[in-house]
Amino acid sequence: MPRPARDRPFLDPTVVARLGTLELKARTIVEGFLSGLHRSPFKGFSVEFAEYRQYIPGDALSTIDWKVYARSDRYYVKKFEEETNLDCHLLLDVSGSMAYGSHHALSKFEYGGCLAAALGYLMNRQRDAVGLTAFDENIVTMLPVSSRPGHLLALLVTLDRLQCGRKTNVAKPLNLLADTLTKRGIVVLISDLLDNPDEIIRGLKHFQFRGIDVIVFHVLDHDEIEFPFDRATRFEDLETSEEIMAVPGAVRGHYLREIGALIERYRRELGASGIDYQLLDTNRPLELALLSYLSTRSRAL
Amino acid sequence: MLSFLSPLFLAGAAAAAVPIVLHLLKREPEARMKWAAVRLLKRAPVEHTARRHLRELILLALRVAAFVLLALAFARPFFATGAAVASSSVTIVALDTSYSLSAPGRFERARQLAKDAIARAPAGDLVGVVSFADEAEILAKPGADRVLAAAAIDEAAPGFGATRYRAALSAASQNLDGRRGTIVVVTDLQENGWDAGDHASVPAGTTIQLADVGALPPNLAVTAVRTLADRVVATIHNGGARPRDARVHLTIDGRPAGDAIVSLGPNQSADATFAGAPRGSSAAVAVDDPGGIQADNVRYAVLGGTSRPTVLVVTGSGDLGREAFYVQHALAAGTAANAAFQVASVGGAPLAAWTDDRLAAHAAVLLLSTRGLERRGRELLASYAQNGGGIFIAAGPDVDGDVVGDVLGAGSTLRMVTVNGTRPAPRALAPGDVRHPVFQAFAGSSATFGLVTFQNAARIGGSACQTLARFTTGDTALIECPAGEGRALVLASDLDNRWSDFPLHATFVPFLHEVVRYLASARAHASDYVIADVPPGVKRVPGVVTVTGAGRAGTGPRPIAVNVDPRETDPARMSVDDFQSAVTRLKDAGASRRIASISGSTRWR
Repeated sequence: MPRPARDRPFLDPTVVARLGTLELKARTIVEGFLSGLHRSPFKGFSVEFAEYRQYIPGDALSTIDWKVYARSDRYYVKKFEEETNLDCHLLLDVSGSMAYGSHHALSKFEYGGCLAAALGYLMNRQRDAVGLTAFDENIVTMLPVSSRPGHLLALLVTLDRLQCGRKTNVAKPLNLLADTLTKRGIVVLISDLLDNPDEIIRGLKHFQFRGIDVIVFHVLDHDEIEFPFDRATRFEDLETSEEIMAVPGAVRGHYLREIGALIERYRRELGASGIDYQLLDTNRPLELALLSYLSTRSRAL
Repeated sequence: MLSFLSPLFLAGAAAAAVPIVLHLLKREPEARMKWAAVRLLKRAPVEHTARRHLRELILLALRVAAFVLLALAFARPFFATGAAVASSSVTIVALDTSYSLSAPGRFERARQLAKDAIARAPAGDLVGVVSFADEAEILAKPGADRVLAAAAIDEAAPGFGATRYRAALSAASQNLDGRRGTIVVVTDLQENGWDAGDHASVPAGTTIQLADVGALPPNLAVTAVRTLADRVVATIHNGGARPRDARVHLTIDGRPAGDAIVSLGPNQSADATFAGAPRGSSAAVAVDDPGGIQADNVRYAVLGGTSRPTVLVVTGSGDLGREAFYVQHALAAGTAANAAFQVASVGGAPLAAWTDDRLAAHAAVLLLSTRGLERRGRELLASYAQNGGGIFIAAGPDVDGDVVGDVLGAGSTLRMVTVNGTRPAPRALAPGDVRHPVFQAFAGSSATFGLVTFQNAARIGGSACQTLARFTTGDTALIECPAGEGRALVLASDLDNRWSDFPLHATFVPFLHEVVRYLASARAHASDYVIADVPPGVKRVPGVVTVTGAGRAGTGPRPIAVNVDPRETDPARMSVDDFQSAVTRLKDAGASRRIASISGSTRWR
């Protein structure tokens, strides 16, 4: 059973935000997360040859390679490595709306980047093939899936170079990606989903039709969930620069109903389609996202 | 009309500036924020700037209004009158503020009785408060706010006036304004509160209730001060039922000039004499009486020649020894040094050569003959009377009725018919009201007038004249007629022992003195005034003050003594029934007011 987040400060987004490189952030998140688990959720489900090693008393006799013994008259144990048969696609929304972040926490873009890096680190550690697709209204960057050890570095470098882009069109890259995927795997969408929900849900179902499991991480800032403002404010849209003057006291009720209805719709319709949906508050630890991923992965295998 | 009980609290409305200042100082620049979920806000009922400003202004107005209303609430607003309450019944509390209530504890009791009357007023009645002494004053107009009425009673205080019920009932009736109501008179029921022949009228249906403050406490009063050439004489009255020794002090120009102790029997008066020629301008005589009425403990007098007024006697030739022997000696009664009056004479013809100023120097004029009195002389006398002079006319055989009509001026209603050659018919004189100043000195012995035999008498009368005495035959004997600002007394007989033997009786001298005093009191140059008669502009407070003649010829700046009316010290009381019987209830409220007005104009001063 995981320890409470307060006992593992490394998973606190405010702590993660102070860490240097994205790799360090990802490693800190994942190692901290894994150290909190009593058992590894991933044990060998397929093996491939890795190396030979001299027999040590106590090793299982079934692991001795008798052919090598016949050639060299020495006992060698055949070591196998876990081998993934899973392709994991990380879809990271880098549209302008992801740039929002309250002053006391990571922005949604940073939070999503950390999450993508942590997932990539975790996948790479499990020898899963992982790829990255960053998009706004188009696909900005696409890193093909791979399980090579050096692929993690490429993924982290790619993540580190990303910048928030322009308008959001989540459905378009989803459909493009769904058409190109031929192998079963997992698609992880990290986005604030502030777009047309009908198209987003339709795009996600597109993956489902192709037998690909989908995890949706709905990243929202705490302010976007609670709307804690009180002064009359001119709100400027991060993507369209459209401005609207509002008195929070007057619109709070309506806004909270709207955002609540949006979240509830995603949760309900995606859940009905077998798509894992996880709402992430940028103020909360990333372990929820990792647990959700592992849960979906185990179900996919 | 909107009024306030505590208007000082309105200053608190200045606090309304606080939200205005805060509104102006705390105006923050508009905040801007980049926001991702603007699309969710767009569908919200976005408050437009104009609407928000309007809301802020409304909020500001409400905050300002809160302060203003708070200040208004503390100021205790009320509507003094209102159409909605026009038909309500009215309770008017008439509070006696005469100086007889200035004895310790008496006015506090009067206040309590007045407040009790307010508390007992039927629910829904309008309540008003009137204070009265010589004159009535409206302290609180009829209104629904009883707290206001009670506050008005708290602010009332006894003054220096004398009780006059007619003034109270007249003012209260006017405040009823045609509505049904109750008049509660809070008073000590002094008998002197009704003047002789006085009456009051209230609208029909008006209930009069009396709240009795109680009888006067044992009281010592200085009722008169006479300054003679070699002494000052003060009359002290003991109004209590037990004999007392009164300590009397004389002060001249503010400096102690003598003390005296006078022993007084129950309800008796005695003179305190301070020997020595008084040197100064004013004298004050005080008596120690801490437990009685306070306002009558001191009396003032002006020293100097004005205390001996000159009386002008008009005869046919001006020879007093031959034509006015008895009058001359009666007026000059006493020693040569302390005679009450100086007597001057003039014939009817020489009077025409006089000026107004010369005639105005006299305190009173006794007209004993109209022989030789030409038009110019009559006009002089008429002018004298119109300007406040007092004229006594003895309608004897030397007085022509046609001439007398001109003496009091064009507006006079005096008519006199001299009946010559008729057979003498003995008759006696009977005062109509011994409380009239002329007869007041004879209050205990007015029957002595019955000893005087009048053989002949003229017929006198006038629509505006008031009868003061009649003969036993029923004919008018003595009348008082108004003459401009002055007054005139007309006796239907002579003063020279021809038509009557009046000069041969003991009552002649005091009668003549009282007549002259009464007539002289109307003159502007009289030096002794009671509170009710002070000249215009003089404060109604006892003391010695200097007044000017207000432009009137022959009257320059002069000192006058203002004193309380000594009649108020009379402890005689009336019953509630006596009081009620003096009040007439009229169906026509307007007539009531008119009668009250007429009654007020003829009130004796």
